[in-house]
Amino acid sequence: MAAMEVDPVNNHLQRKQSHYVSLDENFMIQKETYRGQQYSQIYFARLDLMRTLIYSLLPNWKPYLPVCTVLDLEEGKQCIIVGTLYKDMKLKPSILDEYSKERSATPLVKPHNFTHPDDYLILEDESGRVKLRGTVLSPSVYVTGNVVALHGKATGAGDYLVEDILEAGLPPQLELPYKSEEDKYVVFVSGLNVGSNSSNPLQFQLFVDHISGHLGDKKVQSIAAQIVQVVIAGNSVEVPRGLLNGQNLASKDQSRLSEPIKEVDILLTQIAAGIPLDIMPGPNDPANFSLPQQPLHRCLFPGSATYNTFRSCTNPHSFDLDNVRFLGTSGQNIDDLEKYSEANDKLAFLERTLRWRHLAPPAPNTLGCYPFTDRDPFLMESCPHVYFIGNQDRYETRLIKGSEGQVVRLICIPRFSETGTAVVLFLVIVVELEKSRMPCSQFWDPVQLMTT
Amino acid sequence: METLGILDEIQALVCDKLQVVSYKWLSRNFLISSNAAKRLLQQFAEKHGSELEVVYSVSGWLKNNPSVYHIRLVSRPKLSEAKGDFDDNCSVYSVQACILKDPAALWNAEFVQAEELFKQPPTVINCLRDNRFCGVINSFVKRNPEGTSVGTAFLQAKSAGAPAPFRNNSAPQPDNISLPQHKKFQQSSPNISLQSPNVVKDIKNESHGAGARDQGSKPSADKEKDPELPATKKIKGASGTGGSLASMWGRASTKSKSISATTKISDCAPNSVATAEAQIFAREAVENESSDDDGENVKFKRGSNGEGSRKRRVVFDFSDDEDECKDAVSLASPDPPKSKSSIYPQESSKSAVPQKNNLNFVEQNKDDLMVKEDTDIESKKLFTKESGVSNDKESGISSSDKIESRIPQNDAVLKGEVINSAPNSPKRKKVFKTRIDERGREVTEVVWEGDEAEKKPDSSIIKKSDNGAVNTTVNRPSTAKKSPAIGGTAPLNPTGKAGNKKAGNKDPKQGNIMSFFRKECTRQ
Repeated sequence: MAAMEVDPVNNHLQRKQSHYVSLDENFMIQKETYRGQQYSQIYFARLDLMRTLIYSLLPNWKPYLPVCTVLDLEEGKQCIIVGTLYKDMKLKPSILDEYSKERSATPLVKPHNFTHPDDYLILEDESGRVKLRGTVLSPSVYVTGNVVALHGKATGAGDYLVEDILEAGLPPQLELPYKSEEDKYVVFVSGLNVGSNSSNPLQFQLFVDHISGHLGDKKVQSIAAQIVQVVIAGNSVEVPRGLLNGQNLASKDQSRLSEPIKEVDILLTQIAAGIPLDIMPGPNDPANFSLPQQPLHRCLFPGSATYNTFRSCTNPHSFDLDNVRFLGTSGQNIDDLEKYSEANDKLAFLERTLRWRHLAPPAPNTLGCYPFTDRDPFLMESCPHVYFIGNQDRYETRLIKGSEGQVVRLICIPRFSETGTAVVLFLVIVVELEKSRMPCSQFWDPVQLMTT
Repeated sequence: METLGILDEIQALVCDKLQVVSYKWLSRNFLISSNAAKRLLQQFAEKHGSELEVVYSVSGWLKNNPSVYHIRLVSRPKLSEAKGDFDDNCSVYSVQACILKDPAALWNAEFVQAEELFKQPPTVINCLRDNRFCGVINSFVKRNPEGTSVGTAFLQAKSAGAPAPFRNNSAPQPDNISLPQHKKFQQSSPNISLQSPNVVKDIKNESHGAGARDQGSKPSADKEKDPELPATKKIKGASGTGGSLASMWGRASTKSKSISATTKISDCAPNSVATAEAQIFAREAVENESSDDDGENVKFKRGSNGEGSRKRRVVFDFSDDEDECKDAVSLASPDPPKSKSSIYPQESSKSAVPQKNNLNFVEQNKDDLMVKEDTDIESKKLFTKESGVSNDKESGISSSDKIESRIPQNDAVLKGEVINSAPNSPKRKKVFKTRIDERGREVTEVVWEGDEAEKKPDSSIIKKSDNGAVNTTVNRPSTAKKSPAIGGTAPLNPTGKAGNKKAGNKDPKQGNIMSFFRKECTRQ
């Protein structure tokens, strides 16, 4: 049947374009060698780099106090010490516990929180450790792996009484570009969980139809034409784990295993055919376990990987879109913080990681991580403009401001399979130049895109 | 009008075949744009709607929550109600004979169609792939069905010499690299948009990287390691940078880093079985001796997995890899006697290119007394073959010590070389024999089958020097062997240990393995 072009070509809407630069190089494990090293090196790298940073901040904080190492503490003398925090937790699960339990194929799910009123913090630098006391420092807020500076004094009992604390603070932020001419949208979605019982393929199909511009009339499609980037933040597929019990798979089972990923590929093809797409691995995806997760392999997506719009990215993922910096993860770092510390809401955790200037302080203590030897890729060198976390329970967002004028939009992306909600961020940047101050900018609140 | 024809067809499909006809399905089937399809469905619904069920998609901003853009599918009875919630529009989504219980079934027919389109050969451009019926078009989208994808990845910018293309290899692939199937990648690349120019080379890198890395634990190498394997070869430069921090860990290298070339090679464990390929590479490596970098790494090809058990690389990991590498390399260098006393004790006699399982000590500096790497003698053989060095002598090692001249200059290069089991030269085999000598020490002798025995310094020295790292140096298990004469300290466990050893914990207080050699030298 001949194609019937009811709409002449010039009636078609053109999709907006934007300039994309990927910044994932830091998270790729390329030149690393594993020589059997343990994790001391990444901790040392972290301490080294952050200490230098904190030393540069000390003159602005309390320049009158001397800085000393832990072993040089003198009783009663006020000083500043800089080191890595370690939180001693009573309820923290130990690897030995896992051995005593029955080993099952499904990962043991421990959603609850391991904090306990008796937890206490210890500060450690290369010379030694000292237990921290004082009401200023709340153990439920901090986790192992933070590098901070503490002002206080050593007590007779050999502890350190903390009077004040200095965190690294938000990293410097590049200026936002001036107001762009066009409104552009970036869509975030995560937790598709294709292949699980909770996912509804119709919902995802509706979503795909909408963003690619099939659905709706001209008006709706013109909105869709302004979507310039789609980011899938993890957990796109749920592999039937019951099959992965160590036995050889029958061919029937093999096809069952790969069906979800094929379905994802078909759907991603539909997206990639029209919009640039970034896909990040998540905790359940067929990617490596430890952070930084490496990009999903292209062979998993034979259909969509052929497009130049398809990008398989690391987790954490960072990119620049029209000079707006984005940074985000698939949720593992925040989920881990949630297990080992307390806060009012998820956004508070996000804010803390920004203020600690470190994406994942609990790595490698409780969060799996690669034993880097000379660097810590989770240190944030520059402040993102948009900071997103995938696979959360619900959509939340907030705008936070830093001490030097940094402005960050925090976004929690809900799981699509459960909520049918994706997040659309308007890249409408309103820059107000004030003569006396640095330019500041605002983001519109992101919008929820819900499908039912 | 064609539309009439289509409308009739729709009717047939819906009423007779009881199919769900959605606008997408319609557009793909009749090759019309989706907007046109929607209009058609609208016409159809108006005409026949009373007998059938129609589902509408309503989308827009929620009136009571303007920050939420909602898309909903509603059936006709609820349409007006739904419209009230939105301040926007609706359009027909599908028509079907009756309302289905499971809304997902609405999606079914469409998906089956999509799947069929998807399964067409990659070179076919169909309406799924080019999104031609969409209301919004994007002319910047390019599709490249074969070979590397167009543009995108910054990864592509990496040179061929770079560590394995991340996309290809860094993603976890359980069967990746660790097995000697480097060919596999080559085959798979055409159909998948891998970065083909890099593939082959990287595979090689990987495979030999794999070999290198592994000390026997290859098969179980964790996935995490794999992606880096290819990279390790290149590490040379990279690890250097880590040196400053790494040196904090007290692994100061005591040896001078002499030659750097072919650093990578040293990284390799002697596990892999050398093949002709390796020979060539080694030769190239030698030629490039001074060249630092990625260039021609010695590429090792992993032999069969079974070989894995054979040799382990002994690594005294008292320093960074690159030290080791360099050390190893320096060993290889042809002359300066002082640079190394490569003593290959077991080789003892200047003769014999060991066939298999021989202690191969690649020694760094005499001073260091640290045996860096253990390479299988057979690797040397390859070179001997290549370079025409006779079995008896290997060029290069001219130290005053014993002439393990077996080690041709290429040796250093070969560091990690894996030797194939087939002896290149004489078919004699060396075997180990252990006995207690007059002083009560256990002595390991390397003996040609049926031939004279050569003494080796005793195991106690080795014991001392062996800090666990050395375990394998001495005895390559090979078929004939008896378990390591070299004292109990080094359980001959090629497979497992190497890995641990790698971690390296050389205890400086213990004696050096080199003393073992020296003794041997002086004795002679």
